[in-house]
Amino acid sequence: MLVLAALAMLGAAMAADRKSGKPFSAGVGIATFGILLAAAALLFAPPVAETGTPLLANDPLARIFKAVVLGLGLFSVWVPPARREIENPGEYYALVLFALTGLMLTVGSNHLLFLFVALELASLSLYLLAGFPRTPRAAEASLKYFLFGGVSAAFLLFGISLLYGVSHSATLSGVAQALAAGRPSLPGMTGLAMVLAGLGFKLAAVPFHYWAPDVYQGAPATTVAIVAAASKAVGLLVLVRVLQIGFPLLAGCAAWGEMAAGWSLWLAVLAAASMIAGNLLALAQTGVRRLLAYSAIANTGYLFVALAAAGPKSAGAALFYVVVYGLATLGALAVTADVERDRGDDRVCSFAGLIHRSPFQAVCLLVFLTSLAGVPPLAGFPGKFALFSNAMAESATAGKPGLVWLVGLAAILSAASLYYYLAVLKRVFARESITGGERGTMPPVHALAVALPAAALVVLGVFPALLLEPLTRALMDTLAGR
Amino acid sequence: MTPTWTISSAFAGALLVLLPPARMAGSARIIALAASLVGMIAAALSCLARLNHPDAPVWRFDAPWIPCMGIRFHLAADGLSLTLLLLTGLIAVAGVLFSWNVEKRPRAFFAWFLTIIGGVYGVFLSRDAFLLFVCYEIVILPKYMLIAIWGSTNREYGAMKLTMYSIGASALILIGLVAAYAAAGATSFDLLHLAGADYPAAMQAWAFPVLFLGFAVLAGMWPFHTWAPTGHVAAPTAASMLLAGVVMKLGAFGALCVAMPLFEQGLGLWKPLIAGLAVVGIVYGALTALAQKDLKFVIGYSSVSHMGFVLLGLAAANHWGLRGAVLQMISHGVIAGLLFGIAGRVVYERTRTRDLAALRGFDLWRSLPGAAVAFTLATAASMGLPGFSGFVAEISVIVGLWKVYPWLTVGVAIGIIITGAFSLRALQKTCFPARPPADAATAPPLPPLTWPEISAIGLLLAVSLAIGIYPKPWVVLIDDGLRSPLFQSILPLP
Repeated sequence: MLVLAALAMLGAAMAADRKSGKPFSAGVGIATFGILLAAAALLFAPPVAETGTPLLANDPLARIFKAVVLGLGLFSVWVPPARREIENPGEYYALVLFALTGLMLTVGSNHLLFLFVALELASLSLYLLAGFPRTPRAAEASLKYFLFGGVSAAFLLFGISLLYGVSHSATLSGVAQALAAGRPSLPGMTGLAMVLAGLGFKLAAVPFHYWAPDVYQGAPATTVAIVAAASKAVGLLVLVRVLQIGFPLLAGCAAWGEMAAGWSLWLAVLAAASMIAGNLLALAQTGVRRLLAYSAIANTGYLFVALAAAGPKSAGAALFYVVVYGLATLGALAVTADVERDRGDDRVCSFAGLIHRSPFQAVCLLVFLTSLAGVPPLAGFPGKFALFSNAMAESATAGKPGLVWLVGLAAILSAASLYYYLAVLKRVFARESITGGERGTMPPVHALAVALPAAALVVLGVFPALLLEPLTRALMDTLAGR
Repeated sequence: MTPTWTISSAFAGALLVLLPPARMAGSARIIALAASLVGMIAAALSCLARLNHPDAPVWRFDAPWIPCMGIRFHLAADGLSLTLLLLTGLIAVAGVLFSWNVEKRPRAFFAWFLTIIGGVYGVFLSRDAFLLFVCYEIVILPKYMLIAIWGSTNREYGAMKLTMYSIGASALILIGLVAAYAAAGATSFDLLHLAGADYPAAMQAWAFPVLFLGFAVLAGMWPFHTWAPTGHVAAPTAASMLLAGVVMKLGAFGALCVAMPLFEQGLGLWKPLIAGLAVVGIVYGALTALAQKDLKFVIGYSSVSHMGFVLLGLAAANHWGLRGAVLQMISHGVIAGLLFGIAGRVVYERTRTRDLAALRGFDLWRSLPGAAVAFTLATAASMGLPGFSGFVAEISVIVGLWKVYPWLTVGVAIGIIITGAFSLRALQKTCFPARPPADAATAPPLPPLTWPEISAIGLLLAVSLAIGIYPKPWVVLIDDGLRSPLFQSILPLP
């Protein structure tokens, strides 16, 4: 609670500051301070209650993910926001803090209604953050994000009300108990499907992905970084908690030859659709931001492959991968934002000869994009490997083929994705710059937003167990204590 | 010096070459030479130690890495690994020597070069499937960069084609490994553990071809070989040497040490097809080489043909066949490295052409006698003449094949004849034109060979001759590796 209070208070202070005409960097500074304070609170303050409340869990998993949200949020704040600087930095960063607060509340929620409220706190802040610059593109992004988000929120709420009607409880464990008693009913399944659709929107899974390319292109880079990294990580965690704690009995099966209706099969279908659409559409992009948007859709597909196996180890691998993915996308966005400031746009050809203009950025971009493509020794490789091998191990027993159809598709499409990442890197490393070598200086705080994620990706790539082990163990504890 | 020196020297070297400041960028090559020499010497000393103490326990390094998935950092060096390490060390040293004149961004060039070397060492030493796959994949990006930045003809196309073939093949390997991991109880990625598990016959029937094909693409198996000639031609000299010399061997090594021991029933089912494709590759590669106009394309297609022998030896799956396959890996590594070095560095850097018709005009025998002698000897080695390594390897493969599919040796014989034809054609056009152009005698002489070139040529030729004349130590080391429990299911001990 202390964590949240600190964040909200600072957020309010920021909003009050806006008329005093503080320079832009003050916004970044205060936001950084707020996040660090929250992190300190998370580390040092005694937990209010070890086990949390029926509404809000405070288990190790929630604590790890609060730290993840704060870390990814901090890097996002450091990402240069936009081509033109934001006009009202006070309001902007206050909303950033509100969004992060919402995400941190979402992480531990055990109650469907509380979950909804916390998610909406984050979402409403993000809709506003997407439309902050007064440009037509930002307005389009914000409106699309809001409309799709509103519809998905309605789905989520309707699903929750159906589930409450079926189980007379809105806590996850209550729903699980009620469902364990009776046979799966039509309203129960419909409610589950609607909750899945609502959360699928957060994660930009096909067919709920239409907002993603426009938001990635039009919104300020800081906003995109939060949407892509922290918000996605939390969305996945919520999905894991809801499905594996609330609905272990409605999993169905997605394994080859044993398919049965349930969330596992639905996720498998969404996964296949997201991977195919995301990767194929990414091939055709000429702007790096849109390319990252379609790569986000494809990566949701890989995550869903692991969730479709409906086991704790693959879910642990998915949680690991979503953090790694967030770091890589966030860093790539930071480099893109800096290139935009120098060159005016994010087209792939604007990256030509980056190695000569700024070797530091070029090498870091290499780290981010190759991690996304899953090339060792970067964290994306063990991430994908853990996703796929655990998904196979938990779905294929006694020599049955299991999810091999989905894992095979994922492996091949993931290999194909190297093509479009290399299309960017080719220009960065092998081409000469079209215009001269002039470049703006990179403020040190922006350099940190590039350097720290890159360093984290290298460390996690060589020693993936540093994060994979605690995450898997925490998730297993949480599931066992349901 | 333990075999770890090979990996660590290469990766440490890759970082160290980035250190010198821009005005001393040339010193990168000295660091690179030192790093690759350390690796080669470590490999050679380890080979000698193994020869002297054949009954000593195999050197190994084993530490937990990702415990929750049963992944360990497990390296081991039996005779098979050691001979391939030595090959890698030789090619690394020769590659640095043949790249002595790289002026464009030398630090980055040698950093990528040494990264490939380190990854290759890692594959040959790995005894954990995950570790092997990591090292296998580490090689992909540097290959792309070396070709796309420092390459020549059509470099971005060649680089992308090669990279997409490699990564696509890796996806197949990933599927095969992950399926094996799941079916073996999902407790460990150790190769011995995976090889010892019982897989259902239905699974072996699909998983073996997936895994084998994943590796065989990198070994240049027909009809998935097309990345090789384009990639080799587009690559800078050192990268061509690495690609043909050692990277193609990664594929063969993976097929031998991962695909075959894991799914031995699948191997039994599919080996006639593999043998057939290998023979087609031998004949097809040779015929295509006969029709090429570019000297590097001739060598590129000859690589496809020669790698066909490796696959053929693997498909024979008996002692002679496997031993021959490994010998051919080493022999072709040395000879292809030598040929690409001569064609790409010695000849091309002086004449600025690789076109066979244009090279006639230079009449290399008169204008660059050193290169002509070297090229003649390398061609003789490539044709598989007795006294050179190729002869020992190919005869061993053919003996192995004769025991299993005797009628296929007819195809091999045809391939060998065509190999002689295209080798002699290329040699005649470049070095001994029948009617040298009139102005050849008056043309200014080309610059003579430099010491790095001479030492690299000497090194590789000496090794090829050494294997050809006295193959025993190599055979002893390879047999030591083939006695490993990994190959129990394929080669039961008598």
